[in-house]
Amino acid sequence: MPGILVITPFPTDEAALAARKQAAAAGLSPDTKLTWREVRAGPDAVASATDGMLLDLAVFEAGLDAEAGGFDAVCIDAFSEGGTAALRSMLGIPVVAPGRATMLHALTLGARFAILAQGQHAVLRHRKEAAACGLMAQCASVRAVEPGAAFATALEEARRCVEEDGADVILLGATAMHQLATGLAEALDVPVIDPFPLCLQQAETLLTLGLRHSRRAYPGPVAPRPDVLRALLQGAAAFAAGR
Amino acid sequence: MPRVLVVVPFPMSEENLAQRRAQAEAVRLGADMELEFRPVRVGPAGYASHHDFALAELSIVDAALSAQDEGFDAVCIDTMSDSGMTVLRSMLDIPVIGPGRHAVLTALTLGERFSILVMWDRWKPLYTKTLAELGLGARCASIRSIGVQPDNQALLAGKEDAVFPLLEQAALRCVEEDGADVILLGSTTMHQAHAYLAARLPVPVINPGPLTYRLAELAIRLRLRHSRRAYPRPRSDWRAMIRAMGDAGAAAMPAR
Repeated sequence: MPGILVITPFPTDEAALAARKQAAAAGLSPDTKLTWREVRAGPDAVASATDGMLLDLAVFEAGLDAEAGGFDAVCIDAFSEGGTAALRSMLGIPVVAPGRATMLHALTLGARFAILAQGQHAVLRHRKEAAACGLMAQCASVRAVEPGAAFATALEEARRCVEEDGADVILLGATAMHQLATGLAEALDVPVIDPFPLCLQQAETLLTLGLRHSRRAYPGPVAPRPDVLRALLQGAAAFAAGR
Repeated sequence: MPRVLVVVPFPMSEENLAQRRAQAEAVRLGADMELEFRPVRVGPAGYASHHDFALAELSIVDAALSAQDEGFDAVCIDTMSDSGMTVLRSMLDIPVIGPGRHAVLTALTLGERFSILVMWDRWKPLYTKTLAELGLGARCASIRSIGVQPDNQALLAGKEDAVFPLLEQAALRCVEEDGADVILLGSTTMHQAHAYLAARLPVPVINPGPLTYRLAELAIRLRLRHSRRAYPRPRSDWRAMIRAMGDAGAAAMPAR
């Protein structure tokens, strides 16, 4: 009975979370059990390097005890690699995030991908992530769709990604955009990747093949300081509660 | 009941086919998944030269071009050259999974650079095309060979003591000298060495055949398949002609 810890970095209302949980579980092995855990404190969105730093630490702390806690893998419910490299340096179980793994999967389906970012502020972050993975040449473009925009608006941006920018594959840049996937794929006849369901399936892939990240790529610390990390987040949570 | 066609790149006896089928034991798929291993009826004797690669493409395509009509939900190709994958993707609307491309991309989810372990130098060109198409050649730390001629029928059966330690030593050099974070077995014909290597090496070792079966399952579950933009359809239906070529070629094959 493989157990996956799902870390949710951003606060979500219950109805939206319930819908996402249902969509995510579709297609998974009936044996796989998902446990959802929110971070202790952190930003609502990542629009700057400061938000990114806080997200990094929040996700890192939330997943730190996953292996000791008996989980078989960790997944992140956000299109972000924040905190995942740090977790890989501490854990011997797979840590899979929508982000790098989504872009690499896109390249199994076509030569170039485009990312539909949720909001203009997210465009820079996605470009940096593609660059960090060495995939700038394969990233045709990153275009923004504002949250709450009409489907027609999202479709227009996605169409430009394909027809003007040369993308073969569209990646939805936020796990909250999942409702767009089917409609866009049908309208454009290109694969449209919903990042979180793919992330869960990728975790299942690693588990069923006995694979996880390389310790050569993610060596552990000489002197780990988990108590310091926990204190940082406890401080953040106490500060947020006191406000 | 999802059905996956696995195309095996050489005609072979049932006994040898069983060794190819044994790859399925290395991955736990959903209980409803069915794999069917089908050898080609026409093709080269080995995959070691451009002569072979040219024949290989038609060989694989001939074996799988009706897969969708036959009711398969995906096709896997049992060779790291990915021969026939691009052509089949242009003809079929079901996922077509070649291990070369998919193993490289999976490796990069686990580390920054990978090495490919091969039996002999003649296999090195198999990966050139895939790495060039992906634009990821710089992520390949090295391709190391142990200088042993492969047997694409009997695989490594009976050669474990001779070959497995050589593979282990070459892989360690990939890690310690070349900077590889991940090792790829350079051929599905090496799968019998996977457990031995995975237990002894300090890095992940990717077993490409089983990876493709699981990625076929993933593609089926997520309803994701290759982009038509990247793999445009042919303007004419060439299937009947390809079948006729396969008929003629099969009749001309040397007796086994």
